[in-house]
Amino acid sequence: MIRSKSVVVARTSVSLTSRKRFFYLFLLFCVVIAISAWAVTLGTKHISLVTIWDAIFWFDGSREHLLVMSIRLPRVLAGLLVGSALAVSGAIMQSVTGNPLASPGLLGVNAGAALAVVAGMSLFGTSLGSTSVWLAFGGAAIASAIVLLLGLIGRQGATPLKLVLVGAVVSTFLMSLTTAVLIFDETTLDAVRLWTIGSLSGRTMEQVRLVAPYIVLGLIASLPLRQHLMSLSLGTEVSQSLGQNPVFWRGISMGIVVFLAGGAVSLAGPVGFLGLVVPHIVRMIIGVDYRWIIPFSALGGALLLVFADMAGRVLFASQNFPAGVTMAIIGAPFFLWLARYRLRAGA
Amino acid sequence: MIRFAWLCIPLFAGLFFAGLIWGEQSVDWSELVNVVSGDASAEIEMIVLELRLPRVVLAMLAGMALATAGAMTQSIMRNPLAEPGILGINAGAALAVTLVTVVFPGSLVLLSWAGFTGAAIMAAAVCLLAWRNGTSSLRIILIGIGLSSLAGAGTSFLTAFGNVNDVQRAMIWLSGSLYGADWSKVRTLALWLAVPMGLSVIASRQLDLIRLGDEAARSLGQRVNFTRGFLILLCTLISGATVAAVGLVGFIGLIAPHLARKLVGPHHNRLLPVSALIGGPLLMAADVVGRTLIAPAQLPAGVVTALIGAPFLAWLLWGRHNSAV
Repeated sequence: MIRSKSVVVARTSVSLTSRKRFFYLFLLFCVVIAISAWAVTLGTKHISLVTIWDAIFWFDGSREHLLVMSIRLPRVLAGLLVGSALAVSGAIMQSVTGNPLASPGLLGVNAGAALAVVAGMSLFGTSLGSTSVWLAFGGAAIASAIVLLLGLIGRQGATPLKLVLVGAVVSTFLMSLTTAVLIFDETTLDAVRLWTIGSLSGRTMEQVRLVAPYIVLGLIASLPLRQHLMSLSLGTEVSQSLGQNPVFWRGISMGIVVFLAGGAVSLAGPVGFLGLVVPHIVRMIIGVDYRWIIPFSALGGALLLVFADMAGRVLFASQNFPAGVTMAIIGAPFFLWLARYRLRAGA
Repeated sequence: MIRFAWLCIPLFAGLFFAGLIWGEQSVDWSELVNVVSGDASAEIEMIVLELRLPRVVLAMLAGMALATAGAMTQSIMRNPLAEPGILGINAGAALAVTLVTVVFPGSLVLLSWAGFTGAAIMAAAVCLLAWRNGTSSLRIILIGIGLSSLAGAGTSFLTAFGNVNDVQRAMIWLSGSLYGADWSKVRTLALWLAVPMGLSVIASRQLDLIRLGDEAARSLGQRVNFTRGFLILLCTLISGATVAAVGLVGFIGLIAPHLARKLVGPHHNRLLPVSALIGGPLLMAADVVGRTLIAPAQLPAGVVTALIGAPFLAWLLWGRHNSAV
């Protein structure tokens, strides 16, 4: 069988000391906070930081406070949640499957969510709003349950190869169904096409509150998982010889991914880029150590999405420019540069 | 493998006739015989010889080509998830086609060329960017991901803000459609495929080696970088030509090689032909289903391949207590 484990544990030329890494992590955290605050101030109407502070803690119902609490803040919060959730679940997927091509979408979450939303709109005339958040979450959960169940069939349980294959097949299956619906239903295509790229515009506090618990829970759960991911990423044999039960930990990791990615998809739509690329970027910068990759991915993903959304709003002067597009425009060249110059040959 | 090939003959024949008979207007067996002997009415003859026959042949060729390219890509990249799309071929073709449809609506002739050009440019860009004192599978994969997401962002942008009618037309083309099939398309595809497919069969020993990893292949006397570049070129030619002829049909390149590997093992002198023997019928069947299921409307073959292929894989996983997968 084709082996790809060694591929993910690619040797990079970097290895930082723990103290340095901790310092960088803290720095990144500060940058995320600063960018988020800045993102709230920017928009068609500039709002000062003091007003934002007041709006959060001493809300008085004025027009500016309403603007902050009902439009700006939910949007940035959604960006933070979705960005960190997708990046972390991408890192988990890549370590568990040992495949650099793995992304949370491979668990069927994106395809399931898209099908549920599209079918809901086409068959029952639901609109993009709170219902679609529920639909997307449900679709993602069902799709990933199917992938995991099919992956479990057979003697060895969910081996990485079987899991990625089943995931790819189920995703394509669901995506084909979605395409079949959209080809014949122009109204739905028109309504849903912005959503399918991934957009943060028009998110309400209610939607954020709905999804936040799942994502936060998933993020917290992923922290103690880090050591196990490290040994899982080295392959079944190594993980067993280290006394780990790979099947059990694989199951746990997948469960966390469902929470994280399912929540993210229902909030921002199927954003492909984050989960696939951010973990690679982190790996190429700080080295292959999942104890650090997870927190760095969380912050990096959040930073990239919030920044991309802000850039889209400012540069294109359009409040609903899809963050999915700006993110790729900003992130992909950086990623390409890293892949070309920071990855050692012969991996 | 010989046994498998024999098994495939009735399958091919069955799908071949199904493709000729079924459709918006059914053609009888007797009428089919008449067409062969030259006694059929002009209308029936036109339907069978000019519309359905080229379509069936095109589906067969394209399916075989996609499966072969998929098997090669999986071995070159040493990744079970790899398909020719990893070289940026799909993303490039999608961007070019969407661009042409949205910006210059009403130019259907250009689509095939746009698809091929987009695919070729992207594959070349991926290889050039990935080349740095030689190549490496991981670097090609990562560069492929990066460039694909850039092209994908462009496509998304056009999809989101283009005229919705044009977007829909681009989507249909991109889902892999065979309804424009005619003899000139079949001829073009066959000519494009002949040399690279032949070379890929000759290269099966090199594929066996490169699959083992760079170090092992090198110590067995292979010029790894040269071989990899050459094999990628073959893949690009095969899948680029297929994309130009039938649009994006994603599923076959991914799944046919896995099924083939289960049947005959990892050696490419058997893997490549068997993949092709699986891919051909899969696309033929998908096309027949796609145009009969909801006739007179047609589902794109690329949509149906997954709808047929996915349950098949599930059954395979369920049925045998999988050793390989």
